[in-house]
Amino acid sequence: MSRTIYWLQCGACGGDSMGLLSMESPDILELLKLLDIEILWHPSLSNAKASFHRSLLEAIFSGEQSLDILCVEGSVIRGPGGTGMYDTFEGKPKKDLVGGLVKHAKAVVAVGTCASFGGIGSDGEIEATGLQFLKRNKGGFLGAEFKTTSGLPVINLPGCPCHYDVLAGILSSVCYGMPIPLNQYNSPLEWYNMLIHQGCVRNEYHEYRVEEPDFGDKGCLFFHMGCRGPLSYGPCNKLLWNKRSSKTRIGVPCVGCTSPDFPQNYPFFKTRNIAGIPIELPDGIDRAHYLAYKSMAAAAAPERLKKRQTNI
Amino acid sequence: MSKMKINIPLNRVEGDLEISVDIDNGIVSDAWSSGTLYRGFEKILLGRGAMDGLVITPRICGICSTSHLTAAAKALDAVVKVNPPPDAIRIRNIVQMTEHIQSDIRHAFLMFAVDFVNQAYKKSPLFEEAVRRYEPFKGETVIQTIKETKKLIEIIAIIGGQWPHSSYMVPGGIVSVPSASDLLQCRLLLNQYRNWYEKRIIGCSLERFKEIISVADLNAWLEECNSHWESDLGFYIRFTRAMGLDKIGRGHDFLLSYGSLDLPSDTKIKGSKDQNFLIPSGFINNKSIDEFNSSKITEHVAYSWYMDHEGGKHPFDGETKPYATGNESRKYSWSKAPRYDGFAAETGPLAEMVISGNKLIDDLITCKGISVFVRELARIIRSIELIPIIETWISEVSCNGNFYKSPGEIIEGEGYGLTHASRGALGHWVKIKDGKILHYQIITPTAWNASPRDSDGIRGPIEEALVGTPVQDISNPIEVGHIVRSFDVCLVCTVH
Ligand code: SF4
Repeated sequence: MSRTIYWLQCGACGGDSMGLLSMESPDILELLKLLDIEILWHPSLSNAKASFHRSLLEAIFSGEQSLDILCVEGSVIRGPGGTGMYDTFEGKPKKDLVGGLVKHAKAVVAVGTCASFGGIGSDGEIEATGLQFLKRNKGGFLGAEFKTTSGLPVINLPGCPCHYDVLAGILSSVCYGMPIPLNQYNSPLEWYNMLIHQGCVRNEYHEYRVEEPDFGDKGCLFFHMGCRGPLSYGPCNKLLWNKRSSKTRIGVPCVGCTSPDFPQNYPFFKTRNIAGIPIELPDGIDRAHYLAYKSMAAAAAPERLKKRQTNI
Repeated sequence: MSKMKINIPLNRVEGDLEISVDIDNGIVSDAWSSGTLYRGFEKILLGRGAMDGLVITPRICGICSTSHLTAAAKALDAVVKVNPPPDAIRIRNIVQMTEHIQSDIRHAFLMFAVDFVNQAYKKSPLFEEAVRRYEPFKGETVIQTIKETKKLIEIIAIIGGQWPHSSYMVPGGIVSVPSASDLLQCRLLLNQYRNWYEKRIIGCSLERFKEIISVADLNAWLEECNSHWESDLGFYIRFTRAMGLDKIGRGHDFLLSYGSLDLPSDTKIKGSKDQNFLIPSGFINNKSIDEFNSSKITEHVAYSWYMDHEGGKHPFDGETKPYATGNESRKYSWSKAPRYDGFAAETGPLAEMVISGNKLIDDLITCKGISVFVRELARIIRSIELIPIIETWISEVSCNGNFYKSPGEIIEGEGYGLTHASRGALGHWVKIKDGKILHYQIITPTAWNASPRDSDGIRGPIEEALVGTPVQDISNPIEVGHIVRSFDVCLVCTVH
């Protein structure tokens, strides 16, 4: 029997669904075939009529239709005042549908930062939350203790949007029954135990503290331009986007979209600093040693970097 | 049959849309279009850093995030009164147009044509062919569309780092400096896409199709050879005509374009009117084209879940105060109701083509009026206009040229950025004070198209387009689906 997926969109922009269409080797259609997955419902890609959708939901709730993987895209919206009326489905709060479906799924995957941690709107009046986390705090919509019927917590795949190859990887791991070691935010270590900074083509500039004060050049964006690469975990500069590049490679400072507290509550594209040194240093680094290392590195910087001669 | 009300949650639109219609003796007698999600972006932005719109607003929509970025960047260009260098404008356009053409074809063949496989058409002689082409996840065109559009958007990633949700446009230009090989790659990717589009979608060269300037030409083209007849466009024409989709979904006949794709000062591309845009601005009301004036834009909330105010407000004065009444008042949507000079205007590729003076589209409308058929056709053939222009612009970019003029710190001012997303007119209105966002209002294309009633009770364009539609089977109101989808609705945008 095929494995089944139900894809639910909540407080979402559709970006993660668009990511589905960008999956590489294998692409989404090949992947579904290889893993023998049937998509019972996807709001943008299915063509069944509304009455089919209603009976599908009934069948899932009654247990008649088994559900292997529930993918949730977008935050659970609880506002105003906990009613959930900012996001409804056929007149009822969408959050109730989430609450119902999670009980029947063997695995629940939070696709993207909003579904994982609340993301956009988690500080706002819509009272957005992630499925099992609200920002860095465990709990979220389902509570810290929640487990699926097969004993798994919600698997968080942050990223705004989530990298489609990470999604493909998780779907495969679940289908092959492989263990999925998770970090403290319930994200798979496989993809979230590396920094965005790793693999950025500006690394050499970073190394010698050749830093840009403005957009449009080749140097590193950490000291002045607000790059979150050395603080944010995710595979952007390993897997790359659309097979080609990444934001930091082409010169957009990393905005930390995989972080539990994305979007940060201070301005983007500006590093908060004291006397020219960032307040937040690369994750886990000792401040005093870092300062010493950086001043030596700057002194050692080769001319070719200072003159921005080395291509990126 | 007597009068009855049916509610239709619509899938295959980006986000949450519920349509409800009154059906009177098999004919839609009234309609309501309801956006069922509120995300509060206009308020999330308040108090944030001046540049934060560049990061936050693309997240409104995963399918047209580049267009939000364009509007946000242009609004800030206006705040700091800086004109980006011509090559930056070129690159912004190239990326935005690439987003348009992938979106158009994905919509047409992954979302619109899927309805051709609906059980309602099971008895049609065209059904089997429709299934072969458009069955979800399996149809030949579906498979190819996924593969080819995915390659096309590599162009966006080469220049902008990723798709969706990059922030590579900034006030003063773009952050990246595309190299010669980057541009070469873009060219090759576009050529590949052109080849596929010509072969599969239209069955002829772009140049051949451009010769078509009338309905008679189109009919002759269709019959001319097998490759035209068998192309997806050929099938589209055969199917939609056979099912009468050229007779439903007319609407108000008011069409709006803000003008889009700024012409770089040194390009050999000419706009079709004496304007600084490739896609000219204008408003059509009863056939005459009026000059567009952004001060005539207002938003109403009488039927929207926001605190009431008199009449409409210009987005510089607009406010977003949600008021969730559920079903207890006349309010029924999270979308506000934008109006132009008081009119419920339709926007999108159709409006753009009419206002640009596209002869084929003009003739189709003169013969039979606006319909589902012509609205979606405009979307499918827009690539024919855009691809050669993207090619020219890629070849005009000087690599390692000048892509950014620093505007310095943004402290204070106001401005607006108007552009077109794939679905039509998009605007951001922003005020900055002390380096922070003081005011941010956004009007999206689908807010125009899927708008609820305004203060005068006038229906929005989709609602109006539904009225008068015959519905064969109320348990499967496929006609309603066709009409709504012909607007390529993007509800996540609408209910930002
Ligand atoms: S730009 Fe960001 S990700 Fe790249 S090297 Fe600098 S700090 Fe690291």
